[in-house]
Amino acid sequence: MKKTTLLACFLLMMAVTVFSQDKKRKPSMYNKQKEKKEDVKFLEKQWWLGFKAGANTSKVNVTNRYSVISPSNYELTTISKKYDNFGLIGSQATLEVSFYFKGFLLSFQPTYQHTRFSYTTDYEWTSSSNENDRVQLSYYQEQKIDYAILPLIVKYDIYGNKLRPYVQAGIYSALRLNATKALSTSGVDYAAGGKNEFKTETIDVGVDDLFAKYHWGLLGGVGLNYNFKNHVRLNFDVMYKLGMSNITSTQNRYGSDRLSGVGDAMDDMKLDNLSISLGCLFPLRFLQSSLQTLDR
Amino acid sequence: MKQSLNAILFFCAAIALTSCSEEENPQFDKDTFTKIYDNNQYDASNFAIDMRQTPDGGFIILGGRIIPGDSTYTGIYLMKVDEFGNFVKEMLVEGTSVNPIAGLTEYQTKYYFFCSDRTTLQAQIANVDANLESVAMTTVQGSLTYPAAASFIDNNFAVMGYNNADRLTTMSIVTPDAGVLAYKGFMIEPSDEVEEPIMDHFQRTGRKFPFAVGKAPNGLYYFNGFYNYTLSLVFTNMKDDEPNGVVQGSHDDGGFSAIVPVSGNKFASARFNFGDNYLMPTREIPTSGTSGIERLGGYSLPEMVSNAKVRILRASVEQNSVQKNVLIYGTDTKSKQIGLLYYDETTGEFINSRYLGFSNPFEIASITQTADGGLAICGMTQIAGRFGRITVFKLSKEQLQDDIAQAK
Repeated sequence: MKKTTLLACFLLMMAVTVFSQDKKRKPSMYNKQKEKKEDVKFLEKQWWLGFKAGANTSKVNVTNRYSVISPSNYELTTISKKYDNFGLIGSQATLEVSFYFKGFLLSFQPTYQHTRFSYTTDYEWTSSSNENDRVQLSYYQEQKIDYAILPLIVKYDIYGNKLRPYVQAGIYSALRLNATKALSTSGVDYAAGGKNEFKTETIDVGVDDLFAKYHWGLLGGVGLNYNFKNHVRLNFDVMYKLGMSNITSTQNRYGSDRLSGVGDAMDDMKLDNLSISLGCLFPLRFLQSSLQTLDR
Repeated sequence: MKQSLNAILFFCAAIALTSCSEEENPQFDKDTFTKIYDNNQYDASNFAIDMRQTPDGGFIILGGRIIPGDSTYTGIYLMKVDEFGNFVKEMLVEGTSVNPIAGLTEYQTKYYFFCSDRTTLQAQIANVDANLESVAMTTVQGSLTYPAAASFIDNNFAVMGYNNADRLTTMSIVTPDAGVLAYKGFMIEPSDEVEEPIMDHFQRTGRKFPFAVGKAPNGLYYFNGFYNYTLSLVFTNMKDDEPNGVVQGSHDDGGFSAIVPVSGNKFASARFNFGDNYLMPTREIPTSGTSGIERLGGYSLPEMVSNAKVRILRASVEQNSVQKNVLIYGTDTKSKQIGLLYYDETTGEFINSRYLGFSNPFEIASITQTADGGLAICGMTQIAGRFGRITVFKLSKEQLQDDIAQAK
């Protein structure tokens, strides 16, 4: 409830800030542009269409831990999943449609995002009577999830003309498209008469149902636009997505027999994602002959 | 005005983006789970025998354990898990009582089961509270030894035992406070031809026979045990010395692997015959005279392991506001999974199937319908392919309904 209220306030503030800029800045903007009144008025608004792509890496924030294995003589924490945050590189491709209005851009950036993160779970069985009776086992699981990210972003150009740094903030909804897990098992069996190291082949399991169909979050970031030949912008974008809802399916937690058979159940978790993209943007509104945008 | 409208539109769009998120409900964690109860001791070895749900939504699991230094008899292991399937407590009952058998029964807030005195092998009735605070053992009066199967009927227990001195299969009606209301012995053999496999059963050194006991709708008690050299289904009125009816198996190579009365002379049953398995949902079985089991036929299922364990549960599943009675057969498959096969109780027609477990081997021990209308299946798995551990699958009411609705 508290989270929802905060979110509502955040959104409202953002919306009011953006859409009240026209009123606040009207007198000064009007004076600055009075020489080319008509042109400037035309160029005060601009649509941008672009494409960008890049790499991303993820971190999970566990909210509730789950395990198929329920220990009877040791602490559950000893077999908790160990996440490798920001350890794997994913990729993303984004189509950007932005509307510029007096320093602010309202941007819709549908993104196809390939997300990866991994964790390991370690087990050990020992004997109090014979130290050679010992087996260590480790499961490594890599999650690969494809999301359609639907963000709504407000950008603000901080300063500059040719080189235009900006800050951005927004909100996104993610639709899970596909999810797989790659599971590999390794271990050491000391009871075999020596150090018997073993490793199984990696198996890939389709796990769409183990992940929530939708989740949402907030995002923020910085970027840089470089105006190239007046009508094309090269874009460098860094974005951090802060997951706000669970990415795990709470109803299908134990839905994969193949995984629960080896003791795996997904934790409840939120997904953070850091992405870096490069791309270009094209203006959709031009002055008659020069293909000139607001940037000079 | 226009700016305000834009702000409202932006706000609404943003709210719409956040509206689709995963519903979180602790009830989901109770409805469905899979649990494996691990002990990190290399030589720990427990196995599941039976399971019952407790009023708090959790479960009591009756199991066996290896008694250090004793290769002859099996110790008693009890476990309590909560409604989420998480381990709560275990109890390793002192080794003076051994060989617990299935038939864990809730009666007047206690959970009863039968076992044997380690020295005399006299039957004992044990009771434990729902929280595993303490277990009490009472030796059954008379000379009931080697209890092999028990069933709670009309507020008393029907118990099948083995009298190895006289080579008898015994049938007793035992009260919850260990009194004996009726007792009958049925001759297996005068010599020692069947003695060895029977003792192997009790000492877990050989095949486990599907001993069972119960009461037919026509009032006759029955037991699935050895009679006249043969594993047979024997009906008795507990008054006459001779059985009212016998359905003969084939020595110890064929017989019933599970049987549950349905109505009249109809039973849901399964049989094995030299390794093959046959399921016989809702079939008439003669309760008088002597007949052979093979004429009962049945559905042959090659997917089942040789001489498979079979558990049969009569369950009631709500379908479109109407209760549908189904028979759920639980068994071990060659793919090392627990197979659930659903049949219509009225017609005996196959409805659907579900398979539990993967990656490591799984075996069934017990199946029960839960208070929430779901299903709980207790069994064994080999964690890491090495260590035998107890496992519980909980299916939700909705999953069970889907299984019944999605008839093939």
